[in-house]
Amino acid sequence: MRDLRFHKDIYDAQAVAGAVEVYNRFADITVREEGEHRVVSVGGKTPARERKVALELANYALGLTRKGAVA
Amino acid sequence: MSTGSALEGLPKDLVAHDPAEGSVTITVDASVYPIEALYGAAYIFIDRCYVLIDRPRGGSFSVSLTPKATAADEALRAMVGEFANELLSQAWRQKILEENRVILETVTTQALAGAMGPPSLDDLAAFDFSEESFEDPLGIAMSWEDKYKKKPEDKGASKPEGG
Repeated sequence: MRDLRFHKDIYDAQAVAGAVEVYNRFADITVREEGEHRVVSVGGKTPARERKVALELANYALGLTRKGAVA
Repeated sequence: MSTGSALEGLPKDLVAHDPAEGSVTITVDASVYPIEALYGAAYIFIDRCYVLIDRPRGGSFSVSLTPKATAADEALRAMVGEFANELLSQAWRQKILEENRVILETVTTQALAGAMGPPSLDDLAAFDFSEESFEDPLGIAMSWEDKYKKKPEDKGASKPEGG
């Protein structure tokens, strides 16, 4: 299981949720809140797959956040 | 948070290297680089890196860059340098935007108003023409009669002879 920590002041809740929705089909993903962060846990068949999905999810969340900021 | 070594030639307290992940984490001062600058710089790098922004403490941001392709230390150093330059560029751009926000909005509003086209008959009917709305130093808006009407005679002036 690989954890991603998204700070609430930096990543929109909708952006994180949107990214999770997109990548849910590729891995087992859960979301929880820990203080100032939303922690997204990514579980996959192999560590390499977990890493790949987690990193791609992070980029996607950044893109959605940026899109929301520009709009 | 990242663990491990520093990259040679880069400040150890600002740049951390995680050899196991192949990533670098850059710490920046939040008072110098606003979040909008970070978004802008990070977004430019997402085609070649995986980017994660965090806030380890109130006064700073951390940016973790993981190259999509395996990168040697030299390539990582270059990437950190490029990111720092882009971050500076974005911060400067944001500063200019803030300082000129009023001008930009005014010009944009006027451009949009002009693009709406000439006023309709209803708009003209509702317009109040009674007020003096603008200066007219050349008398362009004056009617011909007002502009060339005879001036009242000056009683003190003498008439020319034979006229």
